[in-house]
Amino acid sequence: MDYQSFKKAVIAKCEALGIAEYELYYQAGTSTSIDTFRHAINEFSASEEGGVCFRCIVDGKMGYASTEDLSEAQAAAVVEKAVDNAKTLESEEAVFLCEGGQEYETVDRAGYALPSTDELIATALAVEQKLYDADPMVIDGTQVNVLTGSGETAIYNSKGLDLYESNAYSGMVAVAVVTNGTEMSNDYQIKIGKLSELDTDAMVKKAVDTAKQKLGGDVAPTAVCPVVFSPDAMCSLLSVFSSIFSSEAAQKGLSKLADKEGSKIASDIVTLVDDPFHKENAFPSVFDAEGCPTHKKSVIENGVLKTLLYNLKTAAVAGKKTTGNAAKGGYDSPVGVRPFTMYLAGGDCTEAELLQKAGEGVYINDLSGLHAGANPISGDFSLQSAGFLIRGGEKTDFVKSFTVAGNFYDLLNKITAVADNVTLPSPFGSTTFGAPSVLVEDLSIAGK
Amino acid sequence: MISREICQRVLQKALSTGADYAEIFGENTTNHAINMIASKVDTIKDTVIAGVAVRVYKGMRSVMATTVDMSESGLLRCAEKAADALGQGSAAMDIVLRERIFGDIHPVKIVPSSVGNGAKVAILKDGYFAAKEYDPSIVQVSGTLLDVDHNILIANSEGLYTQDRQIRTRISISAVAEKDGETQTGSFNPGRRMGLEMFDFIDPKAVGVRAAKQAVTMVSAGYCPAGVMPVAIGNGFGGVIFHEACGHSLEASSVAYGTSQFAGKLGQKIANEKVTAIDDGTIPGAWGSINIDDEGTPSQCNVLIEKGVLKSYMIDKFNGRRMGMASTGNSRRQSYAYTPTSRMTNTYIAEGEDDNDAIIASMEYGLFAKEMGGGSVNPTTGEFNFAVNEGYIVRNGVICEPVRGASLVGKGSDVIMNIDMVGKDMDMGQGMCGSSSGSVPTNVGQPMIRVSSITVGGR
Repeated sequence: MDYQSFKKAVIAKCEALGIAEYELYYQAGTSTSIDTFRHAINEFSASEEGGVCFRCIVDGKMGYASTEDLSEAQAAAVVEKAVDNAKTLESEEAVFLCEGGQEYETVDRAGYALPSTDELIATALAVEQKLYDADPMVIDGTQVNVLTGSGETAIYNSKGLDLYESNAYSGMVAVAVVTNGTEMSNDYQIKIGKLSELDTDAMVKKAVDTAKQKLGGDVAPTAVCPVVFSPDAMCSLLSVFSSIFSSEAAQKGLSKLADKEGSKIASDIVTLVDDPFHKENAFPSVFDAEGCPTHKKSVIENGVLKTLLYNLKTAAVAGKKTTGNAAKGGYDSPVGVRPFTMYLAGGDCTEAELLQKAGEGVYINDLSGLHAGANPISGDFSLQSAGFLIRGGEKTDFVKSFTVAGNFYDLLNKITAVADNVTLPSPFGSTTFGAPSVLVEDLSIAGK
Repeated sequence: MISREICQRVLQKALSTGADYAEIFGENTTNHAINMIASKVDTIKDTVIAGVAVRVYKGMRSVMATTVDMSESGLLRCAEKAADALGQGSAAMDIVLRERIFGDIHPVKIVPSSVGNGAKVAILKDGYFAAKEYDPSIVQVSGTLLDVDHNILIANSEGLYTQDRQIRTRISISAVAEKDGETQTGSFNPGRRMGLEMFDFIDPKAVGVRAAKQAVTMVSAGYCPAGVMPVAIGNGFGGVIFHEACGHSLEASSVAYGTSQFAGKLGQKIANEKVTAIDDGTIPGAWGSINIDDEGTPSQCNVLIEKGVLKSYMIDKFNGRRMGMASTGNSRRQSYAYTPTSRMTNTYIAEGEDDNDAIIASMEYGLFAKEMGGGSVNPTTGEFNFAVNEGYIVRNGVICEPVRGASLVGKGSDVIMNIDMVGKDMDMGQGMCGSSSGSVPTNVGQPMIRVSSITVGGR
């Protein structure tokens, strides 16, 4: 059955069982993806996905159950399972559903007509050709992936909430593989946006140049020295440590920022903003995963922690209002907290001036293994890096296979300059991060 | 899930534009996860994943379409979509499906879905409170008991019609220790391709104690010094070094495209002669085991490297076409929504002849990485990294003080040459491996090994 019929069946089941407080969260999407290899289409996929998460409050506890199978039997089963699950829960924190009748921002969603399959194929093959043409060192294995899709989210609850939002997107991954005869190297560039508006020439150039740059290169010398993170590298760090700004993590003792609101936690030049409507976020959202209105807020302003990010439950625990940051990892996940578009605000100087300030040190533009080498609970990180030595205030030799180590909480206080080049790379999961180049006073580099 | 007759008609439709191979993958999976934090059962997640993917090949082109509409008309529309994407052509073959039962080498004694929340919560609490009460410095513990009932159906134009049921159970305990305002974590996450009988021989309390002990040890540890040094890596999850440094580069998904550091090297010496490495999806009850892979090929025991010589890659059907090689039963996908590709199952370095004591005694100054965390690799360059969750400095052949915050980085082709001592205490550790076909359960494993020289990241 379709979602509307499924919804009716769930409502009927709730009435039959006397469940007064409940919510139905629906998420569905379609996507088409094309991969090239050696000037031909290698893989093509067209996917449809969708599921429903039902949750209800029974004796003050929130039970969950989800399904992709929208059948009459499952409509009854999710209600029964959620009730059963609620009865096992022990957490004593109060739980809430979002009230209906609230005001929401309006976002300009000029209809985006998804590109046709023929257009996707033509674009993919043309960009692949550009990659080959960019340099004689480019070899097979060089590939382009183009994708396009649409998604929709609906939230209905027993408090009069009935919301719907949809989005459409396209994107591209350009992979350049190069060789110098003895060694291979690669780089990939990802962009999300309207297919016809992607600057594919810039993507091709950056992928090929970066792949070539990664050939050769020495290991950086072991030292404690100033480090400049490129916008991409700084966004990688933010993506893994953004959970420290979650009120949920703080309340569970998994962030050191509990009780730090209003306190100085970073150097004066650090301002961190969460803006659900940022123009470079391909997925603007006017309501969060509970259906509460979203809005722009400063998380850190001039080094002071202004607010953590809240949902209804964590806000109630703290005696505050939600910041509209309720989030789900997938449609079936319990409600947690996440930022939408979180970016570190830029400063006045250029990246070149930042390098001058650094004097001698390391410029890092590539970090790997973030899921393993960084611990958001302790703040410690030790990460595989690549970049350039900074000598006399300028980027010089390419260096790779070294690590940069430190603690993110300390790092926030050691930021001595931020450049004016804020960029927002492709999203990490459903959050988009942004940052300028950042100078950190000193960090540990482990190499030769 | 879907009858043989319907599959036959759907495959026929999928072949209608001239595909030379068609396949249906149907799935009905139930995931059940109980989470505890702050000493309370906090959330319970229950999810049914149900859908179908139809794939067709024509030469070196693969097309996949998926749907959640499992009615015959929904499946036919999905097959038509896949067929249409191939363009013009006409059907070149007739299909007769014959049911095949490969047999189950992973008997399940207690199917988790037949057990209520109460009994599962009791198991989880045993592990949870063993961690919580281990030491006063433990300030927070989180725990999860996950069970998965993954039912798959595969039918293809070669006449195969088969089904498999894969049941998995896993307990995860993470502990946070605090001392002088600093926090450190410890975790242990054993899992099996089994039902709740897993806990007949894995004591949940021991799981909690192991997680807590690691956090307590690390919160009193200083930072690991940085530099290049010999490293002894402990057994079990230590095998993640082979998984990252070498395993991913032996998957057809990079070998078939020539973008692996080990492409074209079959029969050549790529590792130290002390290294024999195996991918074996047939180990009864093991976390990464499967009866059949997600293309219906029976799982195998594949010797990847024998005494340093490259013997085999891990291959799926589609990439096998490009390589001119048969599938090794390694095609895997997280769910119907992902295009399957070659992936690892239970991958390990086989037992060697060195004693653990001799390995430690051989090190004048180095690191003993007792417990490893996760890592990642670029299969093209072979550059990898992974985290050391519990490390100790070795001085003059003796294990000394614990150190925190270490990571290991290097190049796969170098590091497997530098594995110059291999112990005898082979064991496995469980992980979820993420790659293009999603997140799949894999075992990593090894006895204690020594890497003669590697970059240790620290400060």
